[in-house]
Amino acid sequence: MVNPLYMFILFLAFGFLFAILDKMGRKVTLTLFYGVLLANFIIPLYWIWGIFSGTTSGTEISTAGFMAPISINLRFGFEEIIIVLLVNFLGLLSAIYLSDKFKKSSINGMILFMVLLMSIDGLVMTRDIFNIFVFLEILSIATYSLIAIEKNRDSLSAGFKYMLAGGIASAFILIGIIFLYRFTGTLNLDDMIGKSHLLVGKAGFLSLYLFLFAILLELKPFPANGWALDVYQAVNEGLVAIIAVASSAAIFFVLYKFLPLVPSEYYGYLGGVGLVTFFFSNLIGLKQKNPNRLLGYSSIAQMGLLLATLSILKSFGSNDLIIFQIVGGLFINHFLAKAALFWLVGIVKKNDISAWTNLRTNPSLLIFLGVFILALSGLPPFPGFWAKWDFVMILASKGSYFSIIGILLASLFEITYLFRWLGFAMKKTDSTEKIDLPISKEFPIAISAIALLVFSVVTTYFFKEFSFIQILPLVGLVLMYLFGYLPVKVKGFVAIVIISTYAIKLYSLVSGLELFFAAILVVGSLVQIIATMYRSGKREGFYPFLVMMIIAIGNLVIAKTYLSFFFQWELMTIASYFLIMKGKEVTSAGLKYIIFSMGAAYFIMTGFAFAPVIPAINLSLINTIGMKHIGILSLSLLSIGFLIKIGSLGFHVWVPDTYNKADDDTTSYLSSIVSKAGIFGFFLLAVAIVKNASLDTELLLTIIGWIGVMTAIIASIMAAFQENVKKLIAYSSIGQLGYIILALSAFNHIGWLAALNLTLNHMLFKLMIFLAIAGVIMRTKTTNMYEMGGLIKKMPWSYISVLMGIIGLSGVPPLAGFGTKWMLYNALIERGWYLQAGAALFASGIAFLYLFRLIYTVFLGQAKPEHKDIKAAPLWLLIPQYIAIAVVMLISMKPILLLKPLSEMISVYIPTNLGWVGDKLITVNGYWNGSQVMNVTMIIFGIPFLWMLFITRKVQKVKQFNIVFAAERPDRPETTHFAHNMYAHYNKAMGFLVTPKLAIKFWDRVSEWISSSGATLRNFYSGNGQTYLLQIILYFIILYSIMGGK
Amino acid sequence: MTTQIFIKIGYACISIAVMVAYGLLTGGVMARIRARVYGRYGAPVWQPFLDIFKNLNKRTAISHGMMFYLGPIFRFAGGLGTYLFIPAVFGSVLFANFSGAGDIFLVMYFIFFGQLGMALGAGEGGHPYSGIAIARGLAQMSAFEVPFALAVISIVVQYDTFSITEIVAAQQGGILHWTMFTNPLATIAAFIALLGMNMQSPFDIVIAPQEIPIGPPTEFPSQFLSMLQTNRGLFLVAKLILFMNLFYGGATSVWILFLKTFIIYLANLFIGVSFPRYRIEQAIKFFLKYPTIIGIIAIILMAMK
Repeated sequence: MVNPLYMFILFLAFGFLFAILDKMGRKVTLTLFYGVLLANFIIPLYWIWGIFSGTTSGTEISTAGFMAPISINLRFGFEEIIIVLLVNFLGLLSAIYLSDKFKKSSINGMILFMVLLMSIDGLVMTRDIFNIFVFLEILSIATYSLIAIEKNRDSLSAGFKYMLAGGIASAFILIGIIFLYRFTGTLNLDDMIGKSHLLVGKAGFLSLYLFLFAILLELKPFPANGWALDVYQAVNEGLVAIIAVASSAAIFFVLYKFLPLVPSEYYGYLGGVGLVTFFFSNLIGLKQKNPNRLLGYSSIAQMGLLLATLSILKSFGSNDLIIFQIVGGLFINHFLAKAALFWLVGIVKKNDISAWTNLRTNPSLLIFLGVFILALSGLPPFPGFWAKWDFVMILASKGSYFSIIGILLASLFEITYLFRWLGFAMKKTDSTEKIDLPISKEFPIAISAIALLVFSVVTTYFFKEFSFIQILPLVGLVLMYLFGYLPVKVKGFVAIVIISTYAIKLYSLVSGLELFFAAILVVGSLVQIIATMYRSGKREGFYPFLVMMIIAIGNLVIAKTYLSFFFQWELMTIASYFLIMKGKEVTSAGLKYIIFSMGAAYFIMTGFAFAPVIPAINLSLINTIGMKHIGILSLSLLSIGFLIKIGSLGFHVWVPDTYNKADDDTTSYLSSIVSKAGIFGFFLLAVAIVKNASLDTELLLTIIGWIGVMTAIIASIMAAFQENVKKLIAYSSIGQLGYIILALSAFNHIGWLAALNLTLNHMLFKLMIFLAIAGVIMRTKTTNMYEMGGLIKKMPWSYISVLMGIIGLSGVPPLAGFGTKWMLYNALIERGWYLQAGAALFASGIAFLYLFRLIYTVFLGQAKPEHKDIKAAPLWLLIPQYIAIAVVMLISMKPILLLKPLSEMISVYIPTNLGWVGDKLITVNGYWNGSQVMNVTMIIFGIPFLWMLFITRKVQKVKQFNIVFAAERPDRPETTHFAHNMYAHYNKAMGFLVTPKLAIKFWDRVSEWISSSGATLRNFYSGNGQTYLLQIILYFIILYSIMGGK
Repeated sequence: MTTQIFIKIGYACISIAVMVAYGLLTGGVMARIRARVYGRYGAPVWQPFLDIFKNLNKRTAISHGMMFYLGPIFRFAGGLGTYLFIPAVFGSVLFANFSGAGDIFLVMYFIFFGQLGMALGAGEGGHPYSGIAIARGLAQMSAFEVPFALAVISIVVQYDTFSITEIVAAQQGGILHWTMFTNPLATIAAFIALLGMNMQSPFDIVIAPQEIPIGPPTEFPSQFLSMLQTNRGLFLVAKLILFMNLFYGGATSVWILFLKTFIIYLANLFIGVSFPRYRIEQAIKFFLKYPTIIGIIAIILMAMK
């Protein structure tokens, strides 16, 4: 093995030599420079190889021929090797990124860069506390020299502030070292740990505190970190990647080394410092527009999170492997993603995140941005996801409620600003401005992204032992990307093949309720893929995420553990987010979607965290959940999560915008399929409740029931007042989902049967309506219903589809919709929820208003002159609609075909109290014979129909506008079509229920309040060095008095 | 089996024919009573028959399209269906109709079948007034359905069944067993709802009979109109029978049916000719206030029993 000291020697030797060698020309020094960096990357790599192959387990280096504690010793164990490897890797990539700078600027830049890296390596390896001080000083000097090399006003002032803070830290650390040496008589860390019993009393505490505070200060705790932010903003991005990421990593590692000296009762305070930093940095980050500063906040926040996880886990006494997995996961995530994001900022050269649209001219950069932002947001499959999950699970098991709330809320802030940035880059108004992109700048970014992905795959596949089918959504994503160059029709076909294969595989894995949901979710999706082929062109990036989303949703059904369920859930969220982002003007709607989805996800995660671990038997969650007693806290958290996802009253604000702005066929997916994932979640809960008969869930179910029915009422009223056709259907969708959870929460056999039927029906009816309307929007090029009208003549097939859809949704017999409504009322009366039944009837009455508005204003009345030549909807859109119609007709004529098997599935959980006489279904209170109703209706409809056909056979067809009233021809079709503000009278009577828009106001206030508090807190950072110093001193005093000497 | 089906269909035809005749006649009588209240002489009571006959023999020369053509058929089928799913006379095989196919909720929802189809048919006519009238009608309907639904739920709770036949059976054995006396609040709520359902004053702005005639009936000519008029008779009777069954003890013979429904309608008319008209939003507010509160109290009272 190569002696690691060679790394120092190489850095130092060439550092000195470069001043001379540069005379031979810059090419020579540059070659040597990169040679040194490469060599120093290979050395730790070689050691890693040694460790994995078992030939070494690291080494301990003593200097000057003495053994420790006499000599200064360096350790090169597994942890050190990993950090040094990462630091030198980052150093190499940064240097490549900075190559054109190094070509031009003075040789000092290169020398300082090497000295900086050397000091970082030294900090990591040394076991001597005075040596730590020395390396810290070298680090500081190298850093502010490099900062000042830019020679502009900002960087000079930032460098000066850095010096001030660094000076204070040095002073503290030095005094601390003096005290530590005084009490223990040694400077060697290991020796000192052995003598830590000597560090007692106020004085012992003070000595530790001084050292610790200096290290903490270098980690930039909130609010004593203004100086660091100015540095991040002012300095060249290649350099900042080193300062913010590599230096911080080394200092964090110093803290890690120092922790065994600190009595464990202080770990909690350190965790507090970390949490406060994580929370407030992310909060303030919300207000940032400048990408460098935004990343600065994010970096500081991430370091805070690392500090928090490390200290909290230590205080719990968790074992090293767990600490390694969690802290290591977060570390790698931050390390690779953050550095690369800083580089990206340097390439794009835009000081405002809303101007990042030029990134779109280079798709690979956009993909990298997406990868890094997903990673930083803690989404799967990136390491941060696993770490966050494990950490929350541990926190929950220890009952650390505040820590969980703090971490998740702050994560939500972070996601908000990161995704706002991503959203701007993807969707803000187009820019054709090309990005100047030399390979030297793209290379480091690409390598980071690849490293991150490789690392993710390794964690997912090996450490978490996820099976192939569980990572299939990602495989599907990649697979479909390979087909990116093909036209839409071919890609659609490929997607159909992939999903069909998956569906066949899935079919062999499911039974009972799983089978039902798998069929709705996957087969329903499969059919709709046909519709997606109505677009022309390539639709790049659409099919990969579509395939990913469908498989993830299918996998939800067969997930066997909470983690695997949550993993698929998050994949579904990511995929659906990117599908939504394909729409036009979707920036704010997409952001809303991701914030609410992630909020839901966090509730679900904590819900699982507080649930008992399920027995490890090879069955899907729906069979195993509730086998152990599940608590009401867990159930409530999960319920809230699923309520947000299905957009129940209060949480519905994201739905109309998202559905409106997404592509029309995507909207159909969102409404008919994705929302059902939330319903499946509710079924999981329901099963868990059923299996825990002792649990008192009366209150929970009553609340959910009322939420369901109020959602149905308010959403129906809102739907009636919409002018935008997609928003109308969106509100309708919200309301229908309200019925489903109402039926489910009634918690009797017929209630569940109703819920399952409503789920299927809603999928079919919304598919028909949304796809039909997609065709209409495509042809009319508007979403305003008052700009449509009279389309029945031009688009009769779409009309029939919408007609069937609204008959079904309204519950008018003889279609299947009636059966579901009837079962719902049965369930509610049986349960004794009479007022809810009345309210549900009220809601279904209002539904007629919006359904009539939908079909009348779009298809009936007068056509606009500009629509006189439009064609029928494309066949691609019609095929899935008519498949759905066929299914609807089948289950309407023979409801027994569906109801009997469903009832059997349910009777596993709730014994049946239904009776069957032929086709007649008999409940506790009522009866219904769907087939007979259908037959009677067909006869009574058929006879007058034939009769009229016979007597009116000689008629003349007239044009739509060929009408007369008051002995005069109406002026123009526009003035003759009754559509705008159709329910003005209803608004006068009932508008008071919805015009206050309480939910929207509430969420507006919340977001306003949060961002204002972020803005207020930002005032801490005055930009004045003296103020920063004062803050540091005050922080020192306050933290001291809080921790106190014990 | 086949013979049974044909017998059933035969019975249904007779049942429908009787009720159409009765419905039209009642309509005629009521129109005449109304005229007398207003100080007019009024048309003969058989005028509805004459109208239908006349319209049936007019020509139909113009078609506005398929949905326009289907509208009246939907409407008529809706009237037929509503009636056919109600057991008209308690204990009578002839007038039992197809009530075995579904319960009270089927009837409540089948009422919408005709209304929806009609609304769409008139919509294709392209005349904005039909749209306006339907928007008004739907808005009013969504409101009067609330007290009606609450009343129905109240008696469902009271009798513990959705079956209309069983509800009627429970009311047998004397006038004091009628829902009207055992559950007066539900009866009141439903009776107010019936005013809206029958578009009696003060809830008649939907069809605005006095000024410009507005709404679907003005859109359809000749045979279409005759179909609508036939339906008007049948649908009226269906609604009255439903109320009679639910609240007034049902009927054990056709004659009692005629008597009871006539009185219910007369009571309806009594209010209809006495009050001025509400605007649509006033009507909605009205229905959602007092009758709704009465309905809720009716449910609570029954639930507490």
